[in-house]
Amino acid sequence: MEINVNLDSAYIPSDDVVAREIEGELIIVPLAAGIGDMEDELFTLNETGSAIWDLLKTQKKLRNVIEQLSEDFEAPADEIEKDVIGFVEELLKRGMLVEVAQD
Amino acid sequence: MPKTKPAFSIKNGDEISLSDSALTELLRSILKRGLPFKFCAKGTSMHPFIRGGDVITVSPLIDKTPGIGNVVAFTHPKNNKLMVHRIYGKTPKGYKIKGDNITVSDGIIPDDYILGYVTGIERNAKSISLGLGLERYLIAFFTRKGRLYRLFLPTWRLIQFIKNIIRWR
Repeated sequence: MEINVNLDSAYIPSDDVVAREIEGELIIVPLAAGIGDMEDELFTLNETGSAIWDLLKTQKKLRNVIEQLSEDFEAPADEIEKDVIGFVEELLKRGMLVEVAQD
Repeated sequence: MPKTKPAFSIKNGDEISLSDSALTELLRSILKRGLPFKFCAKGTSMHPFIRGGDVITVSPLIDKTPGIGNVVAFTHPKNNKLMVHRIYGKTPKGYKIKGDNITVSDGIIPDDYILGYVTGIERNAKSISLGLGLERYLIAFFTRKGRLYRLFLPTWRLIQFIKNIIRWR
């Protein structure tokens, strides 16, 4: 399945995940079939992944998330954009994010 | 905020080893959403009904008051340790809880410390129901008397032995 990430959309955490910061890592448990299953897939994000996740939660357009990260990390926006799009694609594939169309 | 390029990493479940407190936090968050949580049991305190490596499902206590014989997940008030043991009695101050395979009781655990109750056990990808059905009352009775191994288990093994002989024929 091809995933197109749109910079003018917001991508927010799906209702079908539980995310919890534990011991410095963000742990995300997908709630497949209405059950949290440790024996199935679960994911951890490192500190930078968590920073992206936290900004996505604010429901900002992806373009604005990238700008914010570029400022926070003092890194060129084009580099950040590549990473953030890769991140969003990965999580969309796994159903951990959902797209919210913006006006 | 680190001043580095925001490379991210995603680890899969089999690469993650959760501490006891991390597991408790996750269990608590998922049960709070009214959903059950499945995870791998550790230790031998509930042997033979739950063995280390079994996958247990803990369900939230929505409209359910745990009763005698139920196996519950709780944090121990003394050390906050996550435990999965059986209720064998009730007092006004809380539940009397104990592992089926240990002689020492966990003491009285106040209601607030009970997180959820075990509704499923899987061993080698097969569902195991022994210990969660009506026999749980009997197990709780023998557990309370400290006679589980002396009386209940030999009887149970004899029943299983006879059932196997009938099946082979």
